[in-house]
Amino acid sequence: MTKLFSNKTTYLSLFLIIGIILFFCLDLFLGSVKIPFNQVVSILLGQTAEKESWSIIVLDSRLPKAIAAILCGSALSVAGLKMQTLFRNPLAGPYILGISSGAGLGVAIFIMGLGFLGISTSSFSFSSHTGIIVASIIGSFAVLLILLAIINRLKDIMTVLIVGIMLGSVITAIIGIIQYFSVDSQLKSFIMWTMGDLSSITNSQLMLLTPIVLVGLAGSFFISKNLNAYLLGEEYAKSLGVNLKHSRLAIIGLTAILTGSITAYCGPISFVGIVIPHLARLLSNSSDHRILIPLSILLGINVLLIADIISQLPGLDQTLPINSITSLIGIPFIIWIIFKNKKISSLN
Amino acid sequence: MSSSINISALSIGYPNKTVIDNINIEAKTNQLIAVIGRNGKGKSTLLKTLSGLIPPIAGAFSINGVDILKISEKERAKMLSIVSTTQAAISNIKVRDFIAFGRFPYTNWLGINKEQDNAEVNKAISLCNVESLINNNYDELSDGEKQKVNIARAIAQNTPIIILDEPTAHLDLINKIEILKLLKDLVVNQQKTIIISTHQIEYALQICNELWLVNNGIKTFTPTDLINSTELKDIFEGDSIAFDKDSLSFKLI
Repeated sequence: MTKLFSNKTTYLSLFLIIGIILFFCLDLFLGSVKIPFNQVVSILLGQTAEKESWSIIVLDSRLPKAIAAILCGSALSVAGLKMQTLFRNPLAGPYILGISSGAGLGVAIFIMGLGFLGISTSSFSFSSHTGIIVASIIGSFAVLLILLAIINRLKDIMTVLIVGIMLGSVITAIIGIIQYFSVDSQLKSFIMWTMGDLSSITNSQLMLLTPIVLVGLAGSFFISKNLNAYLLGEEYAKSLGVNLKHSRLAIIGLTAILTGSITAYCGPISFVGIVIPHLARLLSNSSDHRILIPLSILLGINVLLIADIISQLPGLDQTLPINSITSLIGIPFIIWIIFKNKKISSLN
Repeated sequence: MSSSINISALSIGYPNKTVIDNINIEAKTNQLIAVIGRNGKGKSTLLKTLSGLIPPIAGAFSINGVDILKISEKERAKMLSIVSTTQAAISNIKVRDFIAFGRFPYTNWLGINKEQDNAEVNKAISLCNVESLINNNYDELSDGEKQKVNIARAIAQNTPIIILDEPTAHLDLINKIEILKLLKDLVVNQQKTIIISTHQIEYALQICNELWLVNNGIKTFTPTDLINSTELKDIFEGDSIAFDKDSLSFKLI
């Protein structure tokens, strides 16, 4: 009978896995400090390098950054896929329900709002990075709680979507007011956060982020059968035995965990979550989530690793904002795919 | 176990608006039942309530003694399947995979089809005569083909009862008749109980076993009783239309 993975999908997956290995190595090898490839390999194997600084650069800077790219690419792609299915909307993404706005508000209050209270953030700049993460988690979690309360009261999923978007707008408006009254240096710190950043994550933070993302991804795959039923619309899903209330909570809860944790550590990374699911559908010519979830993970990782490599190409002393890179390389690529395929599957 | 449909003291509607109060119907299973009535009288609300899509205000709907409005979605999915008026706007799916969605309540968490599931899907495909379509994309089908494929999906769900909301809307004459004959065949040969809502009263009178007339309450009729009653005249006749008993059709006057 029909196999779950067609030959084409299998080859594609193998190709993407090779891509991940290749780009992961490149990401570790390339950077503003030139380190010979064999040295990178021996550092990774736990041997001592010729220069101790190389070991620190690879293990404490490049490796966590590459792992962050992997987590980020997989989490946001899967989160976006689930939102597009749940809301039957091709423009939905991981941030559609205002989770990034919530995180943004937390960070805005932390960076700029404390100034109002006469507390200077520079006085505890040492802990400010941790502070941003905590503020972001609190912000996105608050939005999630409000959303779940709303979902429990609303029957129609489209109303949930509209309320989510309005909630996001209100929060953005509040952030706008905070920005207006804040001083230049704080404003710059906040804008930098909104541009996304993979490089500030530390190994100890990865210890926490990695299991969260893995649980979120595994949970998403676990509900792929229910996600498939949503393709027929909520009425049919219910008639096939899906408990709409529980599955909605599961879908939105898992999305919030994936999106909220990534946004907390890396900032709001745009574009990936909206476009990767479309790319997965186009390449696999399938709408089955049992295929789309793994494929989105593989595609998302590839794209983020490439984006990270470009953002720190040799010759550049500074890293470029990851958000600009994902949009600059991603959008021309997706336009090329659309022209080549003549159509983008509108939904699901 | 009595083989019967039992609707008792059922009130349908929405939290602050009761559409029809205290519905009581006894009917046999293994029948083709048509729900008829003017627009806005509550046909769709009735079917949605019976399907479990909206909760009843009060009352029960039992099939063979099981109140299917009280059981979980999962259990209900094995007793009742639906074909609704809203089209599943899904692209990127082959017709066979679409029909296989009917096996959803029976498959494991990953939705892997076993031999028996495939057999049920194949049976549904042949019963509905859609063999020639199975490798097409669902969104490329015509309205008539889509309706047949939707019915095949409901058959694959292998439930004793199937509820279809206006299965012949938007279809041309030949497709209308084909769909109704298909439903009748399923009742006769597969022992299904099928409840449809329809505005095709002429055909319903010829092909259905029972008609439920929705008009500020629900009355049940056999086709002959309904033809001989004055109900059709009272409800559907107007200044410009009259029911002709001999030809079983509405005539313009």
